[in-house]
Amino acid sequence: MPVTGPGTGAAGADDAPTSVVIAEDSVLLAEGLKRVLADAGFEVAGLAADAAALLRLTGQIRPRVVLADIRMPPTQTTEGLEAALEIRRRWPGTAVLVMSQHVETQHVVELLAGDPRGVGYVLKERVADIAQFTDAVRRVAAGESVIDPEIIARLVARPRAGSPLESLTDREKEVLALMAEGRSNQAIAQQLWMSPKTVETHVGSIFTKLDLLPDAGDHRRVLAVLAFLRQ
Amino acid sequence: MNPRLRAALIAAALVTITFQLVTFYVSGWPGPPPAPLFVVSTTVVLAAYLGTGIIAWQRHPADKIGLLFTLTGYAWFLPHLLSLHYALAFTIANGTAFVYQGCLGHLGLAWPYGKLRGRADRIVVAVNYAWNIANPIVANLFWNPRVTGCSAACPANLLLIDDSPRLYQDAGQIATLLSFPVTAAVIALIVVHWRRSRGYARRAMNALIWVSIPVAGYITILNIADVVDLSRYNVLIYQAGPLLLAAPPVAYLASAMTARRARGAVSSALVSMEPGPHPAKLRDALARALGDPTLQLAARTAGAASFTDTDGATVDLASLPAGRMVTPLDTPGEAVLVHDAELRHEPELIRVAAAAASLALEHARLQAEIQVQLDQVRASRARIVEAGDAERRRLERDLHDGAQQRLVTLSLAIGIARDRAAAAEGADPDLKALLESASKEARAAIAELRELARGIHPAVLTQTGLEGAIQALVERSPVTTQVRAVPAGRFPAQVEATAYFVVSEALANVAKHAQASAAVVTVREQAGRLEVEVSDDGAGGAQAGSGSGLAGLADRVASLGGSLTVHSPPGGGTRLQAVIPCP
Repeated sequence: MPVTGPGTGAAGADDAPTSVVIAEDSVLLAEGLKRVLADAGFEVAGLAADAAALLRLTGQIRPRVVLADIRMPPTQTTEGLEAALEIRRRWPGTAVLVMSQHVETQHVVELLAGDPRGVGYVLKERVADIAQFTDAVRRVAAGESVIDPEIIARLVARPRAGSPLESLTDREKEVLALMAEGRSNQAIAQQLWMSPKTVETHVGSIFTKLDLLPDAGDHRRVLAVLAFLRQ
Repeated sequence: MNPRLRAALIAAALVTITFQLVTFYVSGWPGPPPAPLFVVSTTVVLAAYLGTGIIAWQRHPADKIGLLFTLTGYAWFLPHLLSLHYALAFTIANGTAFVYQGCLGHLGLAWPYGKLRGRADRIVVAVNYAWNIANPIVANLFWNPRVTGCSAACPANLLLIDDSPRLYQDAGQIATLLSFPVTAAVIALIVVHWRRSRGYARRAMNALIWVSIPVAGYITILNIADVVDLSRYNVLIYQAGPLLLAAPPVAYLASAMTARRARGAVSSALVSMEPGPHPAKLRDALARALGDPTLQLAARTAGAASFTDTDGATVDLASLPAGRMVTPLDTPGEAVLVHDAELRHEPELIRVAAAAASLALEHARLQAEIQVQLDQVRASRARIVEAGDAERRRLERDLHDGAQQRLVTLSLAIGIARDRAAAAEGADPDLKALLESASKEARAAIAELRELARGIHPAVLTQTGLEGAIQALVERSPVTTQVRAVPAGRFPAQVEATAYFVVSEALANVAKHAQASAAVVTVREQAGRLEVEVSDDGAGGAQAGSGSGLAGLADRVASLGGSLTVHSPPGGGTRLQAVIPCP
């Protein structure tokens, strides 16, 4: 499915609006999210205040996307994450975007452990940039992986002695970071204002330098790059 | 002991000894003075009994043993009045020749405290006295000293009624025959006493057995020599032989010295005892020191009906077996020593032992009390740290559910407003910029609040455990940091938090002070404890002094019963190790 640009509506392959279920225990925020998503052309099919309600709604509505806060009642730990994994297991076609006040690689690893397609994990505060936020929802709906840049920036910035990362050019590092965020070559090209061909060249060079398998598809390479960054 | 009595006894002893020595040499007897060996042996025996009598009297004024030694000494002296060349002295000396043997029998049966134990004792002692007094008197009735050939030089025998050598000889032989059963009766009773002796008295009775052999043997030989011609052994029997009689005083003095040493042994037994409540060990040490293997240390806990000794046996103080005695201890609880009754003759020793036992028990009690207090303090310290952690978790949760959530909602609202402003026709151009900057501020506030919340309590620790939390720390470390091992499992919240803060503080120190290029974090679970180690290749020289973050960390680790060590030689890097018990 083609990647849709920001602000071009949320139509899926069948041209029907992309349905979303929101799991967020703060009513105010849930309402705000609902409004933003509706404005962006999504169909908000349900609101859930806890993980149990989320699973129930998802089973009933079978939305295209589930947007879930990681911390929800009753224990306020990782119910959202566990519910997301459960949804991915039970209804693999449903994309999940997990939001958190803080982002941790441990959560990414758990979330992406199965099939990373249609899975996203972002800082909650990303909702402030509405375009960026709705774009993330759209990307997971389209089967992409979305990893918050905060995590990637942290991982890329980690000091490491004698790592092949040191041999990457600054440009290559930018491309690597976007790959790790789950961006496709086309999206990277758009973001960095370069031709898709140039992106491909950079990606090939990065894979050679890091000694990664070059034929990995977009979703596979997210895992490969993340695994490398976590070393 | 009355000092006057003591002075009198010493004076009398000195006078008697001097008198005996002088009369050996200055007397009316013709011919040379007695053989030097005889003088020495008889004087040694006299001095031994008189001296020991005074010492024993002083040690045990309430007992008759001192008196018995003294009497035996003077009984030994009486026959030596013979040295005086007067009829009366001569007669007294001959008539009392064997009184000392009666005294010796009394001494043996009253050993070691001068008290006869029963009727059999009294009968045998009485017969022995009677026999040894009557025998020479009867013999002297028929003995004319002239038969010895001293003719006119002999003083007169005032007891003589019938100058009949025949009767004298017959009486002598009957006397000799009868003396054996009397001696045997004394020895038999001594053996009975010895066999019955237990505990403390056993030691003294063992000594008596050894003493009885030479004494009884010597007396028997003397009796045999009366009827059998042993004159070629005269030097041995009459000159050296008396020395054997010095055995009882020597044995007595030896045991007195042992008792004195025992007092020292009580204190050294205490000193050698390990600290701690070990009543059984205390009992053993006291039993050894007192020489009473039957010693019992019994205590009654508050409210209990009966006393229990260190072997767990019930001790009924109201109906103790004969020969047992109770000494109460001066302790807050009820505790007693139950020991051989013979020890009452060593009041000083038993007093020292009781004081020592009281001290040891009191010490053990205080130690137990301190242990309880220490446990309470430990528990309260752990509770304080736990409460602090709970408070941190609560704060973090409040921030998360409150301010952070509101700021996110706020920034979303600003975002909507900003987009609307941008889309609106003819909107104030400043408005968009204003909302843009408001949005930025809100996001900056969210980011700051996130870091604040992380510092208060990392949510990832509660959410995923040590592995994810330490991973998060390492990702943020400005120094190349490798995680060598972290257990994936979960641990009690206190243990996880402590391990986390150890790594967090250590990595912060590495970044701030160590001038290191690399650090390694290792967390291992081993034998019920979590071992956390953070090492770097930096400058070293770190100290866990007061005021440093490490001191607080050490307190936190200690609150869980763990330990924190810092190896940081200058120039040799720093290795921080925490061992946290993990039930």
